Amino acid sequence: MAGAIGNLALFFSALFNVLLIVYLVKRIKNNDFKNLKIINFFNDSIFFLLLISFIILVYCFVISDFSNVAVYKNSHTTKPLIYKISGAWGNHEGSMVLFILILSLFSFIFARTTIDDKLKFYTVFFQSILIFIFLIFLIFTSNPFDQIDPKPLQGLGLNPILQDPLLAIHPPFLYFGYVGFSLVFSFALAGLATNSFDKSWSKIANFWIILPWSLLTIGIGLGSFWAYYELGWGGYWFWDPVENASLMPWLAATALIHSNIVTYKKDKLHSWTALLSIFTFIMSLLGTFLVRSGVLNSVHAFANDPYRGVYILSAILLISFYSLTIFIIKSPRKNFSGEYSFLQKDNFILINNCFLIFFLSVVLVGTVYPIILDAISGKSISVGPVYYHTILAPFLFVFLFFMSHGPLLSWNKEDKFSQIKNFKIFFPTSVVICLIIIFWLFDYKDITLILGLLFSIYLIVSVIFDWIFQKKLSVNLGRLISHLGFGVLIFSIFVNAYLSKEINTAMKVGDEIKIQEFLIKFKSINKVKKENYDEVFGNFLVTLNDKQVELSPSIRKYDQPVQFTSETSIRSNLITDYYFAINLSEFEKDKIMVRFYYKPLMFWIWLSILLIAFGGIYQTFRIRNEQ
Amino acid sequence: MIFSKSSKIRLKFFFVITLVASIVFYFVYSNLQKNVVYFYSPQEIKNLSTNPTNKIRIGGLVKEGSLKKNKNTYSFVITDLKNEIFVEYTGLLPNLFIEGKSAVTEGILKDKKYFVASSILAKHDENYMPPEVANSLKKNKLNK
Repeated sequence: MAGAIGNLALFFSALFNVLLIVYLVKRIKNNDFKNLKIINFFNDSIFFLLLISFIILVYCFVISDFSNVAVYKNSHTTKPLIYKISGAWGNHEGSMVLFILILSLFSFIFARTTIDDKLKFYTVFFQSILIFIFLIFLIFTSNPFDQIDPKPLQGLGLNPILQDPLLAIHPPFLYFGYVGFSLVFSFALAGLATNSFDKSWSKIANFWIILPWSLLTIGIGLGSFWAYYELGWGGYWFWDPVENASLMPWLAATALIHSNIVTYKKDKLHSWTALLSIFTFIMSLLGTFLVRSGVLNSVHAFANDPYRGVYILSAILLISFYSLTIFIIKSPRKNFSGEYSFLQKDNFILINNCFLIFFLSVVLVGTVYPIILDAISGKSISVGPVYYHTILAPFLFVFLFFMSHGPLLSWNKEDKFSQIKNFKIFFPTSVVICLIIIFWLFDYKDITLILGLLFSIYLIVSVIFDWIFQKKLSVNLGRLISHLGFGVLIFSIFVNAYLSKEINTAMKVGDEIKIQEFLIKFKSINKVKKENYDEVFGNFLVTLNDKQVELSPSIRKYDQPVQFTSETSIRSNLITDYYFAINLSEFEKDKIMVRFYYKPLMFWIWLSILLIAFGGIYQTFRIRNEQ
Repeated sequence: MIFSKSSKIRLKFFFVITLVASIVFYFVYSNLQKNVVYFYSPQEIKNLSTNPTNKIRIGGLVKEGSLKKNKNTYSFVITDLKNEIFVEYTGLLPNLFIEGKSAVTEGILKDKKYFVASSILAKHDENYMPPEVANSLKKNKLNK
C-alpha cells in the first residue's frame, strides 16, 4: 500500500517535471522571463513529491515491507533500526532516489533564495533537464517500488560490512557533494546561455561551489575513516577506483573554487571557470557511473545489470555533449586589459589550477585505463598505488611551494619586497623545524620523506605567518583554515607512510611475544551474543617503552546473510594509533591470526580533513551573510 | 618577417608547453606501464608463449583439499576447473579464503605450474566472485 503511494508520488514528480520543462521551453520561445511564480510552484512541487516518495521508501524499510523488491533484497527483520533506515540508500534503487531528491533539493533551495531573473529561469530549466534524465532512469530501470508477489516472509539482509553507523551517513554526504555540483553546472550553463557570465555570476556561484565541496570533503573523509577501521588492513586510502571516483570531482571542484575567485576579483578566466563548472559535474557523473554500473568490483557495486550501466553512460555522454556544445557556442570572450606581472595572485591561482588538473588527469588515467583496456582487449589489469605515489609526490612538492606563496601575493601590483621579506622569515623557519623533526625524532633519512615534511611544514608556517599578520581576517579565515588543514594533512600522510609499523603473527590465549619493540600479550577471549550476530573478543595487551595499551578486536558471525567479519580495535591518541585486528585461521584451530599496526598521526589526518571542510563551511556562511 | 612579435611569443609558448606536456605524458605513461598488474586465469597462463617476469595476479577456485601449511607458508592449488597452478604463499590468510571458493592472488610466476604469491586479495563478502574469475570459469564450463 505504502509502496503504491510512493510510486504515485514518483510518477507525479516526473509528470510535473515534464510539464515544467514544456512550460519553460514555451516561455523561452516567447522570450518571457518575467513572472516566475508558476515555475517556482512546479519546482517546489517536484521537490516535495520526491521527498514524499523518499520518505515512503524509508518507511517501507523500517516496517520491513518485503513485498517491495528493494526491501526484500537489502533488509531483514532482525536488523537494528538504524541499518533498516540506512539500508534505504544502501542499495542501488534507494541511492538513485536520494540522488534525484538532492538534485531537486538544490534546485528548490536555489529557486527559494535567489531573486527572479533570467539567470534563475535558465538555471531551473537546466536543472529540471537533469532531474528528467535521472527520473526516467529511475522509473524505467531501477524503480524502488517494484513489488514481489507473493510477499516473501524474510529479507535477504544487508551486507554486514555495510552495517556500520558511519556508512549510514557517508553516502548522503558524498551525494550532497556529488549531486550538489549539479547546481553550479546548471548555473554555469544558464550564465552562458544568457551571456551573463561575469562578476555577479561568480559571486552567486561561489556559494554553490563551496557548499557541495565542503560536504564532499566530509564524505570522502568519512569513507576513508570507514575503510580504515572496518576493512582491517591498517590503511585509509587504497587508490581503489571507487575512492578515486570521489577524489576526481573534489580535485576539479578545488580548481573551480580558485578559478572562480579570479573571475570574481579580476573579471578574468570566464571560459575556464565555466568549463570547470561543467567538468566538475561530469566528473561527479563519471564517479556515479563507475560506482553504480558494476564495472568495478567493490562493496559499492550494487548494480550488475548491464542496461543500467549503458543508460548512465549514455546519460553522461548526452549531458557532456549538450553542455559542451552550449559552452563552445556561447563561451564568453573578454579581453583583459590592465597591468600584468608574473608575481600576482591570479597567476599563482592559474598555476594551482594546472597542478590540480594534472593530479586529476593522473587519477583519471589510473582509474579509467584498466576499464577501457578491459573493454577493448579483454585483458584485466589493475593499477598499483606505486603509480600514484611516484607520479604525484614530486608534483605535490612544487604544488605545496606555490601554495605557500600564492596567497601572500597581492592581486594587482608586483609586490616583490614583501615577497622577499616573507621568504626570508618563513623559509629558514620551516627548514629549521623540518630538520629538527627529521634528525632528532626519526631515524629515517629518505629524500621523499624529507621533501614531503619540508614542503608541508613550509606551507603550515606560511599559513600561520599569514594568519598572524592578516589584516582582513574574517574574509580570509576560511581559506586559512582549509590551507592549514591541507598542510597538516600532507605532513601527517608522510609521517604516517614512513613510520607505520605492522606485525602479523598467529597466537593463542596466554601467548606473549616480542616483535620489534612491541611486547604483545594475548590475555583472554570472551563471547557476546547480539541481536543479529555472535561476537568473539580477543583481549590483548601491547607494551611499548613501558606504555601499556589494552586492545580488544573481535570476529563477528552474522546470521543474515551468514558471514564472518573482523572488527578492529583502535586506541588513539594525539601521536599515534594502536590498531588491532584478528582473523580466524583455517589450520590451527587453537590459534588466532593477529594483525597489529602502529599508525602515527592518524588523529591529525582526520582532524585536517575536518579543518579543510570546516574552512569551506565557514566560507559559505560568510558568503550567505554578505548577500 | 613571417611572424609578428606576438605570434612569435605565442609560438615559443606553444613549443614550451608541448615539450613540458610530452615529458609529463612520458613520465605518466612509463609509470603506468611499470605499475600495472595483469590478471591471468590458469588457462591464460597455459596459453602464454613467454612467462611474465613482473608481478601478476592469478585467480580461480581454491581446489578442495589442496590447502596445506608448512610453518608460515601456505600452499594451495588454484584451478579454473581445467588447468591448475600450484601456489605458495607466506603470510596471513584473509577471513574469506576458503577451499572451493574463489580467490585472487598477486605475486610472481616461477613457471607455468608454480606461482609464488605475495598477497591474497581481500573479498568483501563470501559469495562474491571476482568477474575475471567468473568469466574464466564460465568459458571452461561451456567448453566441457
